[in-house]
Amino acid sequence: MGTGTGEVAAFRNVSKSYGRVKAVSGLDLVLRPGETVALLGPNGAGKSSSLDLLLGLREPDSGTVELFGGAPREAITGGRVGAMLQSGGLMSDVRVRELVALACAVHPKGHRPAEVLESAGITEIADRRVDKLSGGQEQRVRFALAIAGANDLIVLDEPTTGMDVSVRRQFWAAMRAQADAGRTVLFATHYLEEADSIADRVLVLHKGRLIADGSSAEIKARAGARRIGFELHPSDGGAFDEAVLRALPGTVGLDVSARADGVRTVRIRSTDADAGVAALYKAGLYPRGLEVTSLGLEQAFLTITGEQDEHDEQDHDVEESAR
Amino acid sequence: MTTLIKLEILRTLRNKRYLLFTVLYPALLYVFFISAYGSQGTVADGVSVKSYFMVSMATFGAVGAVLTGSAQRISLERKSGWTRQLRLTALPGRAYTVGKIASCAVTTLPAIAVVFAIGAIEGVKLDALQWAGLGAALWLGSFVFAALGVALGYAAQPDAVQPVVMIVYMLMALFGGTWFPVGDSLQKFARFNPVYDYNQLAAFIHPGHGISTFSIAALAAFLALFTAAAAFLYRKDAQQA
Repeated sequence: MGTGTGEVAAFRNVSKSYGRVKAVSGLDLVLRPGETVALLGPNGAGKSSSLDLLLGLREPDSGTVELFGGAPREAITGGRVGAMLQSGGLMSDVRVRELVALACAVHPKGHRPAEVLESAGITEIADRRVDKLSGGQEQRVRFALAIAGANDLIVLDEPTTGMDVSVRRQFWAAMRAQADAGRTVLFATHYLEEADSIADRVLVLHKGRLIADGSSAEIKARAGARRIGFELHPSDGGAFDEAVLRALPGTVGLDVSARADGVRTVRIRSTDADAGVAALYKAGLYPRGLEVTSLGLEQAFLTITGEQDEHDEQDHDVEESAR
Repeated sequence: MTTLIKLEILRTLRNKRYLLFTVLYPALLYVFFISAYGSQGTVADGVSVKSYFMVSMATFGAVGAVLTGSAQRISLERKSGWTRQLRLTALPGRAYTVGKIASCAVTTLPAIAVVFAIGAIEGVKLDALQWAGLGAALWLGSFVFAALGVALGYAAQPDAVQPVVMIVYMLMALFGGTWFPVGDSLQKFARFNPVYDYNQLAAFIHPGHGISTFSIAALAAFLALFTAAAAFLYRKDAQQA
């Protein structure tokens, strides 16, 4: 299977429980070659469990997980997957260079250690002992282990945890370089900015279920993810009517505050800001200091997971009352 | 796989605390026993103190080296997640344990050699064949305990592994003839103690002792048992990841 067609990874109706806790519930998901995919979700959403299943570290209770059309373990022994786990420890009493050389040597299509050290940005710390590294440095060594060979898929579980801002930016560049080389990259993260700026596809996992799957722009749009802000001055004439604002196309949220001098500040959360603004003028209003801003993925994420929780509660209530 | 084994050996030799404990500790005990019992003394069966404790301290050092080297490290590396990380490489699952056993086998050699050197200085007289045979018997016998160490490493939680290893180690040594010869009344139970069998195996250098085929058979049985247990526990651990 080359790049461009086919499936890199596939979850088919996968479920996994630990005791009574349902970590992954009916997950259906296909990753295509060359995609850079961010996996988002609050703590305990099932991100790490899903990655464990993907890498064959755990077996699903039901459903199937495939990597490159076969069992995950086959893909790993074939040198097609590199992974960096949150819970992946490092060998102690060795130097960074030695550990990276080991990873290169055991990889069926291993790169030269010097190249890997360079790509991961750890050439300067190559002679340090692994047990003497800071958290952020350890993360970069783990990343080096994940890119030690010519993998087709790279899986990273919260790769930038413990890195400071400047190092994080360098790390993103290294991740992008992997994606630009045609590799499929799947990464779980807490940092929405990371998903927004790197991923071309965003998955939102919540309570073990996939509740959103699309580009970052689509996810934001789904959450009603643009904000229109302006002021209405009494001197511009016209009577203020909140119903007019509420009736603007795409409005999902409205917030109006009035000052003593009669100036009203309006904030509208809209799924269709373009139409909303056009309709504003048609209604004869004169918005001053008009601003249309993106809500950001973070807001979108909170909105989507919040909606899901409400939905779940309603389901729960229905179940309760049915009893 | 050879890269992993080489690196495992290298890091073990780099760990100074581990080397100090496994190499110097039995050597110091040996010197202590010689002076406590008197250098001209004999223990049961008329075996000289020097040669009795040379053997038992060499086995003590070897067992200690392989038990702590395998059990403790495996348990800690399960906790740190290094074993998980290794499972994401193309290495076969057994490579890790083979690497651990190999690095143990390398560290038993200095532990044995230092005790031998002190014995020779103190005046233990053996011919070249006996020295070589004793070294080989002790080295080969230590693999039984390496297998036990691997099993313990997968069985015990990291916070419990040190006491578990120490208790197993001390009990086996206590009733295995390491610190004093096993009396007649205890001998029939001692046969089920691998350290006793290990000491018996090495006893051929003492005058009036031959090579004990029973010890060889018993150690082989223990090796099979411990290996099976280690394999079972490894698989169980891999499922829990």
